[in-house]
Amino acid sequence: MKKTLIIFAHPHFEYSHANAELVKAYDNLDNVDFKDLYEEYPDFHIASFRERKRIREYERLVFHFPLIWFTCPPLLKLWIDEVFDIKWMAEQNHPLQNKDAFIIVTLGGKEENYSPDGLYTTTVPELMKFLILSLKVNGIQVKEILAIHNADELTEVDLAKYTTEIRKTLRTP
Amino acid sequence: MSENSLAMTALIFLGAAIIMVPLVRKLGLSSVIGFILGGIIIGPFGLKLTGKDSDDIMHATEFGVIMLLFLVGLEFEPKKFWKIRKKIIGMGLSQMLITIIVLFGIFYFAKWQTDQALVTAICFALSSTAIVLQTLKEKNIFLTDAGEASFSILLFQDMSVIPILALLPVLAKRPEDNEHEILLQYLPDWLQPFSIIIGVLILIILGRYVFVPFLRYVSRSGMNELLTASSLFLVIGVSELMASVGLSPALGAFLAGVMLATSEFRHELESQIEPFKGLLLAVFFVSVGATINFFVILKDPMFIFTTTVIVLIVKFAVLFGVGKFFKLKLNQNLIVAFALSQIGEFSFVLVNYSTKLYLLNPELNAQLMAITAITMCVTPVLLIINEKLIEPHFITDTHDSETIQPIKERKIIIVGFGHFGSTVGRLLRVNGIQATVLDNDAERVNLLKSNHFKVYFGDATKPGILRSAGAETADLLILCLDDPEKNKFILEYARKNYPQLKIFVRAKNRLDAYDFYNNGVDNIYRETLGTAVDMAVDILKATGMRSYAARRLGKRFMVIDKAMVKKLAKEQLKDKITFTVKESLEREAELLAEDSQSFDESQWTDNEEI
Repeated sequence: MKKTLIIFAHPHFEYSHANAELVKAYDNLDNVDFKDLYEEYPDFHIASFRERKRIREYERLVFHFPLIWFTCPPLLKLWIDEVFDIKWMAEQNHPLQNKDAFIIVTLGGKEENYSPDGLYTTTVPELMKFLILSLKVNGIQVKEILAIHNADELTEVDLAKYTTEIRKTLRTP
Repeated sequence: MSENSLAMTALIFLGAAIIMVPLVRKLGLSSVIGFILGGIIIGPFGLKLTGKDSDDIMHATEFGVIMLLFLVGLEFEPKKFWKIRKKIIGMGLSQMLITIIVLFGIFYFAKWQTDQALVTAICFALSSTAIVLQTLKEKNIFLTDAGEASFSILLFQDMSVIPILALLPVLAKRPEDNEHEILLQYLPDWLQPFSIIIGVLILIILGRYVFVPFLRYVSRSGMNELLTASSLFLVIGVSELMASVGLSPALGAFLAGVMLATSEFRHELESQIEPFKGLLLAVFFVSVGATINFFVILKDPMFIFTTTVIVLIVKFAVLFGVGKFFKLKLNQNLIVAFALSQIGEFSFVLVNYSTKLYLLNPELNAQLMAITAITMCVTPVLLIINEKLIEPHFITDTHDSETIQPIKERKIIIVGFGHFGSTVGRLLRVNGIQATVLDNDAERVNLLKSNHFKVYFGDATKPGILRSAGAETADLLILCLDDPEKNKFILEYARKNYPQLKIFVRAKNRLDAYDFYNNGVDNIYRETLGTAVDMAVDILKATGMRSYAARRLGKRFMVIDKAMVKKLAKEQLKDKITFTVKESLEREAELLAEDSQSFDESQWTDNEEI
């Protein structure tokens, strides 16, 4: 399994039954480190030196977050703003080159709403453009987007299926 | 030893305890065995060190039992007391009655005289409060079902001593030569049977309207010695009062404890009485050992031996049956039955009293005393047999989940509830987190209590108070005292004695923080950091810096400053200081200037935390 860092951001994790179940997918996996941004930086003061130093060590980044008003939670956005830096890329000779990434996003809405003819007329991959592009400029390829719809209505069985799927995805080389 | 003074005797008793207890503890036995063995060794059949005073000593040390019950009462809020009332009456009454009937039957068929058989059966139905409670607390099973059942039965037995004392003269069919004046006799005849109720009522009124105001008055004087004195005064006073009303002093002390369990002085009283209780109980157990009369035993060993065995078996069987009837789990039931199978210390009192009434002859008196003492010595051994040989057979999956696990609540202790501590406490309270609060300002405690804060009066720099506030089972200790030296003192003590506690401490400045870091505490809150940084951030804004930039700078300053203090604290421990305050300030300035805009990775190495 590739050395993986899970970057998890959820401002109201304590109210999300679905995510509480889903993050169990990361338990007891070799080479997988879990990082809960809202737990680590409750005051939104990100230690960017440390973060840059840390992400260099990984071959794969997983961004796991709920979709809130069609984008990622603010702390994850801040993390991206503070950590990724064009000057850093130039001075350190592209330290993030050749890594890959997954996006796991939970949504309250139904799947049919996120289609060109649906309520929001926009697909999830389109909404994720900001993240995909930011990563691409830094040399990181997004390999897969897993969108989990109706997150609040999912049964234990559904969630278990997703958990298995996440674990399987993490094992892909 | 011609001049055998009381002090000398006490010295010998204590010496025996001090030498024997560590020995038996090494063998993994209960301290009670050590005390009793010590007593046998110094007694008339060992080193003959105890003089004629051993009876006086025994009498004096009965205060140990009284204090034990007072302390149990303190931990026992009236609500809880009310909750187990059915158990007390049900288990207690059935155990007493059945034991008396069975023992009386056996003695009767063994051709004892009827009245002797009955008196003996009554005396032997009682169990030893002192031994059982001490053992349960030592084994940390006081809060389990077994503990509750044992306690209910013992409490009922203590209550039943009163009617028994009234009944014995009736059995004797001769007027008793009353030793001490009993106030009860001044009551009209029809009221006398209600003595218990009257005594309890007196105590409730005293507890509510006399004890607490009295303690408040004393605590305002700010002298700790006075509190020790008044705690002792209370306990001894109550037991004397009860004795003069004709009630059991131990029961009186227990009720006084219950009355004070909800007052703010609970922990303070506990820590004051605790050392006296330990000391007196120790001497009490030693005197049990010293009163075993081996001449009597050697004269008719068969009689003593068989009676002892029969009594133990009967008591065990009855207790076991009662426990089963009240649906105790098997392993809990075994603990109760083994623990309470001995004869209690009140038996000494009752047997002597019956002899005075000519119900028992002196020879039988000596024999019964010996039997009582032997059963007491056997209890710890029985419990070990239960633990080592019988219990292991019952270890199932349920064993660890619902057996010997005392109910544990997540507990927070806050020390100091002034402007600082109360802010912490208020924020916790909003989230429904109850903390045990200790403060040694009587006025403030009073004020907080009237605002429905659960605050206790007590000086936390005294070791006992932390324990009685529950430091052994607590998770968090929060030190908010104004005086850093006091905080440090409590911190060191707590780190040594309660290593499981996570400690949060208030510090004035960097120098305190160094000390606290070097004491192995990581959660340090400097008064002069946060507020000063807030101020500086606002000043930066006032000079025209953008708010967000000022806030980020303030945050970074905090983080760097904390890291530096931690580093400097370590430097202080070295002989040669390689990293000075001056250097650290320069480094700090550099780091702040960078504002995370530097991408020179060699710079990041020692700034992991920024």
